[in-house]
Amino acid sequence: MLRITNATKTFHPGTPNEVLALQGVDLHLEPGDFLIVIGTNGSGKSTLQNSVAGTFMLDSGRIRLNGHDITRWPEHKRARLIGRVFQNPFSGTAPNMTIAENLALAARRGKPRGLGWALNRETRDRFREQVRALNMGLEDRIDNEIGTLSGGQRQALTLLMASFVKPNLLLLDEHTAALDPKTADQVIHLTKQVVERDRLTTLMVTHSMQQAVHLGNRLIMMHKGRVIHDIRDDEKKRMRVEGLLDRFEEVRRVEALDLPAAELLKAAYI
Amino acid sequence: MNVLISTLTIGLILSLLAFGVYISFRIFNFPDITTEGSITLGAAVAAALILHGSENPSWFTTPWAATLLGGLAGGVAGVATGVLHTRFKIHGLLSGILVMTALYSINLRVMGQSNLSLNDVPTIFSGPQFLAEQLHPAPADGGVNQLPFAGWNLFVNDLAALAFTLLLIAAVGAALYFFFRTNLGTAMRATGDNAQMIRALGSNTNAMLVWGLGLSNALIALAGAIFAQYQKFADVQMGFGMVVLGLASVIIGEALVRSRDLVLTIIGSVMGSLLFRLLVAIALQWGLNPNDLKLITAGFVFIALVLPGFVSKLGKRKVGGLQHA
Repeated sequence: MLRITNATKTFHPGTPNEVLALQGVDLHLEPGDFLIVIGTNGSGKSTLQNSVAGTFMLDSGRIRLNGHDITRWPEHKRARLIGRVFQNPFSGTAPNMTIAENLALAARRGKPRGLGWALNRETRDRFREQVRALNMGLEDRIDNEIGTLSGGQRQALTLLMASFVKPNLLLLDEHTAALDPKTADQVIHLTKQVVERDRLTTLMVTHSMQQAVHLGNRLIMMHKGRVIHDIRDDEKKRMRVEGLLDRFEEVRRVEALDLPAAELLKAAYI
Repeated sequence: MNVLISTLTIGLILSLLAFGVYISFRIFNFPDITTEGSITLGAAVAAALILHGSENPSWFTTPWAATLLGGLAGGVAGVATGVLHTRFKIHGLLSGILVMTALYSINLRVMGQSNLSLNDVPTIFSGPQFLAEQLHPAPADGGVNQLPFAGWNLFVNDLAALAFTLLLIAAVGAALYFFFRTNLGTAMRATGDNAQMIRALGSNTNAMLVWGLGLSNALIALAGAIFAQYQKFADVQMGFGMVVLGLASVIIGEALVRSRDLVLTIIGSVMGSLLFRLLVAIALQWGLNPNDLKLITAGFVFIALVLPGFVSKLGKRKVGGLQHA
């Protein structure tokens, strides 16, 4: 479904701020895979996701999605295949437009936008039912501007919008990081529902070890622009929060030593 | 009273300018000053075509076709600004300045001289005025055709122009409203509201901006084309200060309707344009030096832009003071 080959990306090359964000990442997702991406700060997990979304182009490497080579596709063209939810609840919705209008925009993701009415009675009824399913009491407020909603409500709507037209790939970029714990739980519950219902191929970046353990059928840990652990299926199911924290601790220990020393230790002990 | 009627007519014509400025500044959040060139371009193209037609009549020299072609020319100018900004990554303000500057020469080329007189040629107002003559014939002695109304003698020609303009603006306003309710129009509004979101939903925000600026400047040029025919001349300087004037209308309109509802903001733009014209007319009647008009307009827009922030700051300080007490 998604195949990333030898992806590299360097920000601000040749300057003191040079960041080797991706250093040869290979990743292959099967249809229906739910991949969790974790990693330290600056590990490249968000860069990986944004490079798939098309926020910027890779320096080298290829990205294939659903049989298309999308490596050079601009962001809006990739959106035909990809649904996204952002970390910032303000990013995924248009604040000065109504819930119904936002949903109408999402209902035509990847389709031509012509001079047909954005909203009519039939679409409004459909939108109202779908908003009702969120259980947030928004079904009576579909003509209210999104700007009047809370962050959690916005993220729930963004999730609904991202999956409105079934995407080939769903990208979730720490989409609960800006929410309070209770709302985050609600949004995670909804995420699970949506992904399972439509069997969506999903790539989710998260900081939460709880989410990393409880969601998904596969997990990768990134560090310094590389995938350092790839945990799947049964091993993923057995994974506990402590186990994940141990792996982070391991990374930190290696980090504390200088690189040649780490290589020596590795050779000696592993 | 006849001054009032012509003031209202000009206000209505310039509400097309307000629509255009509303689209670029408010919907797309793009400070587009192509306006100053495109309003003159519309006037220049329409005037040149109509005058050309007085010797070589053709379908495109009829007043209606000339007016629409003037608007179309403005649309092309707007698209040019959009392309400079999106394709060549030139700062938005500078893109507008480049096109506006280039248009000054183009307008001179189109007109062949710095102003054109439209006396003694048909305009889009000729039809409605002819119709009004039929309804209320001029006196047989060849005097001015006047209609007595509540103690005033109103010029029938001016009334016809006002009624015609009112219908025209209502039609354009309705068309705009319906356009912004379509899938394409909704996506355009979203482009100004949250570009990242609409890109993630598969719309090319660059294309949206380019077409949006095209639409905006087409409306502005249409205002210029109609305005030139109303005042019966086109002048290469007529665009000067029009951005601020349009912005003043939009701001007054927003203050009047206090809503982001689409219908109300469109009606607000018309009301803002009318009110602004009235205020100007009153100020001139009171003996304001017309040379000071642009200074006062700029000052007004400055205050309108700064005041809301200042008031809310003042409000916060008061709340803070209360909490201390």
